Amino acid sequence: MDTFIQQLINGLSLGSLYALIAVGYTVVYGILQLINFAHGEVFMIGAFGALTTSLVLFNGNTALWTLPVMIIGAVVASVTTAVLMERFAYRPLRNAPRLAPLITAIGVSVFLQELVRLNYNKVPFTSWNPFNLPDAKSRIPFPQIDVVTGPAIQVGGVTIQRAAIFTIGALVICSALLWYFINRTKMGRGMQAVSQDADTARLMGINVDRIIVVAFALGAVLAAVAGVAQGLQNNNIDFRMGFLAGLKAFTAAVIGGIGNVEGAVLGGLVLGVTEAMATQYIPGQFGGGPWKDVWAFVLLILVLVFRPQGLLGAKEVDRA
Amino acid sequence: MRIPNIPLSFVTRHGSKAWPLGLTGAGMLIIGSLLSWSYDAQVLGNLSISFNPGGLQRLAIALALFAVVFLLASKGPLVRLGQWADTALGLRALATWTLLFMTLVVVAITVEAGGLINVQPGGWVSFLGAMVLFAASRLVMPTETRDLAEAVLPGWVEILVIVVIMAGLLFGAAYALSLDDAWAFVLFLVFVTGMAVAATRAGLLSWLGHVTARHKRVLILASFAVAFTFPLTQGGSDANMSIASQVLVFAAAAMGLNIVVGLAGLLDLGYIAFLGAGAYVGAALSTSGFATIGWKPPFIVVVLVAGCFSATLGLIIGSPTLRVNGDYLAIVTLGFGEIFRLTMFNLDGNNGPDLTHGPNGIPAIPDLSFGSFNFGDTHVLLGIPLARFSNYYFLLLLLMAFIIMVFHRLNTSRIGRGWVAIREDEKAAEAMGVNIFGLKILAFVIGAFLAGMAGAIKAHQDVSVTPDQYIFLESAFLLAAIVLGGMGTIVGVLVGAVILKLLPEKLRFFADYRLLLFGLLLVLMMRFRPEGLVASRRRQLEFHEEDEELAIRAEGDIAEKVQA
Repeated sequence: MDTFIQQLINGLSLGSLYALIAVGYTVVYGILQLINFAHGEVFMIGAFGALTTSLVLFNGNTALWTLPVMIIGAVVASVTTAVLMERFAYRPLRNAPRLAPLITAIGVSVFLQELVRLNYNKVPFTSWNPFNLPDAKSRIPFPQIDVVTGPAIQVGGVTIQRAAIFTIGALVICSALLWYFINRTKMGRGMQAVSQDADTARLMGINVDRIIVVAFALGAVLAAVAGVAQGLQNNNIDFRMGFLAGLKAFTAAVIGGIGNVEGAVLGGLVLGVTEAMATQYIPGQFGGGPWKDVWAFVLLILVLVFRPQGLLGAKEVDRA
Repeated sequence: MRIPNIPLSFVTRHGSKAWPLGLTGAGMLIIGSLLSWSYDAQVLGNLSISFNPGGLQRLAIALALFAVVFLLASKGPLVRLGQWADTALGLRALATWTLLFMTLVVVAITVEAGGLINVQPGGWVSFLGAMVLFAASRLVMPTETRDLAEAVLPGWVEILVIVVIMAGLLFGAAYALSLDDAWAFVLFLVFVTGMAVAATRAGLLSWLGHVTARHKRVLILASFAVAFTFPLTQGGSDANMSIASQVLVFAAAAMGLNIVVGLAGLLDLGYIAFLGAGAYVGAALSTSGFATIGWKPPFIVVVLVAGCFSATLGLIIGSPTLRVNGDYLAIVTLGFGEIFRLTMFNLDGNNGPDLTHGPNGIPAIPDLSFGSFNFGDTHVLLGIPLARFSNYYFLLLLLMAFIIMVFHRLNTSRIGRGWVAIREDEKAAEAMGVNIFGLKILAFVIGAFLAGMAGAIKAHQDVSVTPDQYIFLESAFLLAAIVLGGMGTIVGVLVGAVILKLLPEKLRFFADYRLLLFGLLLVLMMRFRPEGLVASRRRQLEFHEEDEELAIRAEGDIAEKVQA
């Protein structure tokens, strides 16, 4: 029983991370029917934003009060990236065939990864490094903030990492704020209207372009929080971290029912728990860590076969 | 590259000066090219000797002569050509690229030799000539031209044109590959692009399109003759053949993916996995000491098994996902690509049966041999030794021919029309009785099959197969080749594959920025020319629906095809 609870908690903390990123996919998809493939990179840049803030402003100080500032730094980096991306890469393709924005997204993704890899510690095409930042070509240690990291907490036979508590807590707080934003603010309701019918929403006086920017920014905020959580959980970050995390988060969004915000959160948790359980309970050679990613994608395919609209998605007649 | 137009009043007032000015510019360019360009003889090949033009100087002379042809066609002895070709547009493009060429030459000499002082007077004369030519080209007035579809030369002349162009391609490719200097290579690319753009603007390329449509057989024969004679131009050196055969593997895979993406419009982001599956089958069934399967069939059987294995994987992954929205397919195939790589990584004996030796892969795959013909040996043809990679090059060329044939036959068949219908409007196609699911699966499976075949050959050519050869980025590169060249076209995808595979080999000096530029290229391509470098009219129309003129031209094309 202890192992089960242990894996459940591992799964939930992993799943919270997926859920935070998945919201970004689902919000943008709900409005634009666009898979923002580069969203994983927004998450990665969030983590680097937090790291940069810590190194530049606090010189790597790990006191708890630096954490909120780091999160703000992460959010600024992510949101800037997402908004620029929307403005310069996706907006010109609003009416193009569907293949075009998806290919653009791949391009943006590769571009952002390389930008961080090559130019994190220097101004482009020079070797000038004003803040003495580390080289991003390999893994960079992430500042281990007091209180939210450190010795694990033992409850009976179960070990709970402090970073896991932080991640799950972050998801709870973010979901609550997100729910409030979407259902109780004017902007959030505008967002719902646009995702139901963009043309009618426009006729009702909603500025669709602004709503789209807000959707990208909203996803970026949550991705930035996820980036900080990932850094705290893994102790280090690197420029490649967005690829697999983004892929998993998209899987989570599909599992929950893409376009559905509650679904994204649920899908993330389900995916995380499935991965943790597969690691523990699939017997023989095909269990264990090396295969957990494979089982996650198998889950995606199973969901698509048996319930293509996802766990919480309504049955859709037309989405060609 | 768009340069703001000069006010019309200015052009009408000074238009008459364009012609003498242009000839002066071209003349200066030629004279300058005959003189010495660079003080340092080590830079860009030897450009330091007067009256003995080096490679780049000859290119500058060729550009100038092309400009002279345009000028004489607008007024002078070649005026009959001017009735057909849009000389003004052609000249403008040519002059712009010539100026770019000369600017880059000056920059290159400055950077390489260390200082502007190294540019000799000849270089400055040529540079000034390019500027004068550029100024003149902005003053040329556009003229009315006649419909190029009516420009018919005697049959043998047209065939001769095709042969000459093909020969030019062959020697151009051989020359490009022989350039070791990165600057020289870039300048050669600028030259080729400039020539191509000028020819396109002047309408020569669309005329060539009409000619090749009239002599399709000649074109196909000539292309394969060129491809087959290419190894003979290398004088026994295998270094470039190694690049060429890698380009071919890449192009073969891209052409297979082109069926899936270009014809059926299904975005497959894990295509490299099918190539990998074929390669692993090829490796596991080879006589390598590290092969994990005891069965050693002849290679023909291995190729077919590899193809069928990949096709089966395609069926497994395609059948659930092709029923739902196309976007899901993109991500599921992406996931599948990752599953494939991870599985190959894991099947090392500890985390599953030992089929692939995990991260170490299957090394020491022996060369192919058919009867007494061993691919590892050097064979002599017409006195020219052809080593290992040349042999694989020929084999891959056969595969390429097969894939192109499959592509072409499918494209022009009922199936191909079904794919177009699905691509453009799935609902309408279904209503017209097109078997959507069947056709999609078919595209997916055929694409996988072809990739599997290519993979089996690749395994032998590369000697070893490891999981890290089949990462997502490779799939993205394949997709980029198609997007860059032109989805659904044969020539376009070949061009795209050659560009994407050859450039990194030749431009090692920006190896670090390669991927950055690649990402940027994808974004810019989708933004400014989503139909690719070489686009079929129908494709262009899909991306520019509001363009009426294009629609009329596309209709004209179809009418011509029906007549032929």
